[in-house]
Amino acid sequence: MGFGGLAIFVVVMWTMILAVAAFLVIFIAPIDMIMFDGQARRLTVSVVQAAIAIIVVVVLVFGLSRMKRIYMQKKLG
Amino acid sequence: MLDVLNLLIYGAVISAISFFAIILLMPAAIRSLTAGGKLVPDAHKRDKPMIPRPAGPVIMAGIGAAEIVLYLLTMNTAVLAVLLSTVIAFAVGYVDDSRMMPGWFKPVALLAAAIPLVSLELYVGGVHEDSLNLVFGRAFIPLLYIPLIFVIMPITGNTINSIDVLNGVASGFIIIAMIPLLASIAIFGSHEVFLAALPLLFAAVAFYKYHKFPSRIFPGDSGTLLFGAMYGALAIAGSSEIIGVIALLPAVMNSFLFLASVRRIVEHRQIKERPTILMNDFKLAASKDKSAPATLVRLILADGPLDEKAVGCQIFKLATLTALLAFATIAIQYAIFRL
Repeated sequence: MGFGGLAIFVVVMWTMILAVAAFLVIFIAPIDMIMFDGQARRLTVSVVQAAIAIIVVVVLVFGLSRMKRIYMQKKLG
Repeated sequence: MLDVLNLLIYGAVISAISFFAIILLMPAAIRSLTAGGKLVPDAHKRDKPMIPRPAGPVIMAGIGAAEIVLYLLTMNTAVLAVLLSTVIAFAVGYVDDSRMMPGWFKPVALLAAAIPLVSLELYVGGVHEDSLNLVFGRAFIPLLYIPLIFVIMPITGNTINSIDVLNGVASGFIIIAMIPLLASIAIFGSHEVFLAALPLLFAAVAFYKYHKFPSRIFPGDSGTLLFGAMYGALAIAGSSEIIGVIALLPAVMNSFLFLASVRRIVEHRQIKERPTILMNDFKLAASKDKSAPATLVRLILADGPLDEKAVGCQIFKLATLTALLAFATIAIQYAIFRL
């Protein structure tokens, strides 16, 4: 179970990273069309994209932190 | 773009320079450091033998010589940027090897290792794309990409530094992580950056001969920071940022666990509650102290005590798993790009 548990932890981390990457490409990259109908200035679009990307990464870190806490409690009591 | 014959010849020449420089110079470095009293105890062994440190200058000499030859052959800006970033990370590590610096020093000073990547791209060009390779497509983020480089370089440098806790782990780990990174750079990056990555792999292979259990020399901060920062610089210049992070996951996880539990940037030596305990039979056990920091080694030992070599094997198994996940990611990206 020792290595198996850690392996599952790593695979879940990998899945979360890929999910965030997919979200950024599918929803954030074309945001000028979705939110601004292609009318916004390049700088405005970039700032909005950067802000959303940072928020998504922060959420990912919180998710990983929670997963770590659960894993540590299970393993070390 | 280089043709196949040049790629093979240049690759063979620079790999040989890096590998043989380290293989041949390391015994002299071990003798010189031992004679000069630059020794530290190997804490997990019976009698705590004194081991010479740091091997960073020899590793830097091997990689530096190979990269200089490659730059003279190709005159490629990305090669120069990777070399300069590596030299800066080595210098930061060497300062930390020479005098005990506070915990904030390495992450802050490693910001300087990002400067060659950013400035050479701004003033010359051809170092990296302005877009992030996100596996499922590229995100054109010129505003965010430069700050991202300043984040990636200290992270990769420090993650390899933080996993250097047992004999052979840092060098063995870099060897395993480099294989998918090289594949990714070959597919999604440029020939020149692929060639620039070869000296790191061959330097790590050569150094592993002396660093593996039982270690004859330790890399020191100069060795681990140059390994990590060069890996980061190659991932950036080779359009393989996410794949580079995935191959590095066990080390990233180790840093993340440590930072999330101590909640501040601090050196391992400054932590009073140790994450592991050395038992009478010289096996390592996980600390049951709730205030002890969480680390990858502590999690590995949560199922029961193991000796140092067995813990290293577990870390290598985990690194192999993440290398396979990185290959799976390359396959996903390749399939999407072909559609």
